[in-house]
Amino acid sequence: MIELAVETIGLCRRFGELEAVRNVNLRVEAGQFFGFLGPNGAGKSTTIKMLTGLLEPTAGQIRILGLDLADDPIGVKSQIGVVPEGLALFDRLTGPEYLSFAGRMYGLDRLTAAERTQELLDFMGLADRAKSLIVDYSHGMKKKLAMAAAVIHGPRVLFLDEPFEGVDAIAAGTLKAMLNRMIARGATIFLTSHVLEIVERLCSHVAIIHRGELVAQGSIDELRSGVSARRDDGQKLSLEQIFLDIVGGERAAVPELSWLE
Amino acid sequence: MISAPGKSTQLLLVGWLRWRLFVNGLRTATGKLNLAVHVIMGAGIGLGVVGLGVLLGMGSWYAVRYGKPALLSCELWLVFLVWLLVPLLISGFGAEADPVSLLRFPLRHSTFVLLALAHGVFDPAAAACLYWLAAMLLGVAVASLGALRWAIPAFAALALLNLLLNRAIYAWLSRWMAQRRTREILGAVGILLALSGQFISPLASRYGQRALPWVSRLASAVRVLPPGVAASTIVFGRASRVGTACAGLAALLAYCGVFGWLLAIRLRAEYRGENLSETRRPDAEARAPVRAGWNVVGFPPTVAALFEKDLHYLLRNAMACLTLLTPALIILVLSMGRHGSPHPRITGFMLGGSTYFPLGVAYVLLTVVGLAYNSMAYDGPGLPILFAAPVRFRDVMVAKNLLHSIVLAAEVIIVFLLVQFVGGPCPPAVGGLTLAGALWAFLLNLTAGNLVSLYFPRKLKPGQMRRQQASGIAVLVTLGVQVAVGGSATSLYLLSRWAGNMAWCGIGFLGLAGVTWVAYRRVLNLVSGIAWKRREALLAELSRPD
Repeated sequence: MIELAVETIGLCRRFGELEAVRNVNLRVEAGQFFGFLGPNGAGKSTTIKMLTGLLEPTAGQIRILGLDLADDPIGVKSQIGVVPEGLALFDRLTGPEYLSFAGRMYGLDRLTAAERTQELLDFMGLADRAKSLIVDYSHGMKKKLAMAAAVIHGPRVLFLDEPFEGVDAIAAGTLKAMLNRMIARGATIFLTSHVLEIVERLCSHVAIIHRGELVAQGSIDELRSGVSARRDDGQKLSLEQIFLDIVGGERAAVPELSWLE
Repeated sequence: MISAPGKSTQLLLVGWLRWRLFVNGLRTATGKLNLAVHVIMGAGIGLGVVGLGVLLGMGSWYAVRYGKPALLSCELWLVFLVWLLVPLLISGFGAEADPVSLLRFPLRHSTFVLLALAHGVFDPAAAACLYWLAAMLLGVAVASLGALRWAIPAFAALALLNLLLNRAIYAWLSRWMAQRRTREILGAVGILLALSGQFISPLASRYGQRALPWVSRLASAVRVLPPGVAASTIVFGRASRVGTACAGLAALLAYCGVFGWLLAIRLRAEYRGENLSETRRPDAEARAPVRAGWNVVGFPPTVAALFEKDLHYLLRNAMACLTLLTPALIILVLSMGRHGSPHPRITGFMLGGSTYFPLGVAYVLLTVVGLAYNSMAYDGPGLPILFAAPVRFRDVMVAKNLLHSIVLAAEVIIVFLLVQFVGGPCPPAVGGLTLAGALWAFLLNLTAGNLVSLYFPRKLKPGQMRRQQASGIAVLVTLGVQVAVGGSATSLYLLSRWAGNMAWCGIGFLGLAGVTWVAYRRVLNLVSGIAWKRREALLAELSRPD
């Protein structure tokens, strides 16, 4: 029987009159590297916030590794790691203090937290800034630290909101290596990103959300064959072409700006 | 190609922007409640401002009618100081619209300067001061129409000078506060200055006679400062000493020139796109092994981790640390008053150990509970991790309450030792009553503080002075609880005295503490549910980007 790492049933979220997420039914199998895509304002961040307990759904059910988030939030949270939008760092702590704090918040004993902190600092190349406050870190260093804090307890499901945004190629390489290692040992990764090339290279499965609704879900090959069959041009499509085809960006006529002509 | 809009169009647009920020700030229930609190408080303060204006008008009439420049000078000093200090010390209402944020648009330099000045004119303190100057002008006019010839330009120059100086101080302070290190140094200097002000009275009573020559020299120096010059200009002008009055006006304009120049330096730098980054040059750091986190005996590891984090935050916040030092300093100040008093027998009774200790503990309580009413103020960007991690929010609050309790206990011990040293031993009965009362008051404040922190939080920045206040509702609740505590404690004390058995007072305090402990535990059990339900509001208020 297939184990589902993330499952949503009829997930909805309203902000007043606006229905930001509408009846989303996601199914992410355990061990998948899953990309969650969508244009700006489509509902990606809202969905990931609901999946990680930062936002209450208006309706619907969220199950992580078979546990209902509403019924057992603590049980769910101890299985997951999160790099949320804005990174959620206590910036008046030093890097080691923050990692040790995060480890203990996820239930590690203090000695294990200290050992893993040291390993993560070395792995992320942050060990030589161990005495600096996080507020003095560069954006890339903060991103690596947030990622380190998200994995310190060895989560079974990792949620990443735009993990590669604002990260240089060297740091991105380090992060990708770590994510691939996690996948190799059976973890599930759920990420949102606007950089479709990265998603195509890393992810085995994707879902596309558009105007709050899930418009496609499956492996990249499944999506590709679906779109290719419709286009019937025999061309091997990139994820960007698949994405544009599904959300309608290619078909829509690009409007002209009168004063720029 | 289109040209940049005219100055008036740009000013109108910025006015519209300010209005929209204000209106949009009222979309949330908290915004509306805060407006209501500001209206209520504003009405009370407004009455005081109007009343003081009448008094100032009468005073200026008397000063001009009977030739008392010193009185007029005192009034103008009041206006001068209120205009300068109040806007810097209190936070304004609504979103801050810094003109620097508008520099991405084709804003003319003159518009940028006008906007910076407009921020000064539309400040409530400035409006009150302008009203007071108008009331004083009316007083001068009633006393002598002829004096108006001098009063109008003198008051106008003083108003312009105040405006320029206020904006110059604000601009330079903003420049120093843009970087963490200078910000915290400046904050520490500010608090030390405020504290040192409390030493003036005891020092004056102790060295009064010997300090008199210095005081008179200082007084003559004060006369050449703007308020004194403005007062002299009017009084000399009325006395037909035209040359002296003209010199006074020229001096006022010279002051305007100097302050305007200081302001212009900052505004020019800001307009040119000065970037005061927080980032420091990375230091070469020695690699050190990672230290294991703390254990806190009797508490779960999550509480220990949260407690450690909160303690680091407190110790790295120079402003908060200095505030916590004030009770000890107050005891020292009081002891100086006692030794320097001309009536040592009276003050010795009033300010002996039996008075110092309750006073010191009350001051400690007020200082520490201030933290409890906005306990997540500094968690800001890290707050989402507290909701994403498998931790009950109850533990978060327990860690914060534990830190506040330890700080309170430490401060009470310091106050006790200081009182022993400077005021003599505190009688055990008084000490016991004080501790019982403090226990009850502290528990009550923690109970209310935990709820207020969840329902009316306000994001604060460590090491910053300006715009660093709890929400209006939190301030009202804090005041309400202190009034209730003070009233109940006084009633209990008086009733016990009337009954002739002070033990009843202690028993009463302990009984109240017991009841409050039950309420505290109940609230603590509700905290996780409240935080979970209110997580969106909490994250929106506390974790929003600057």
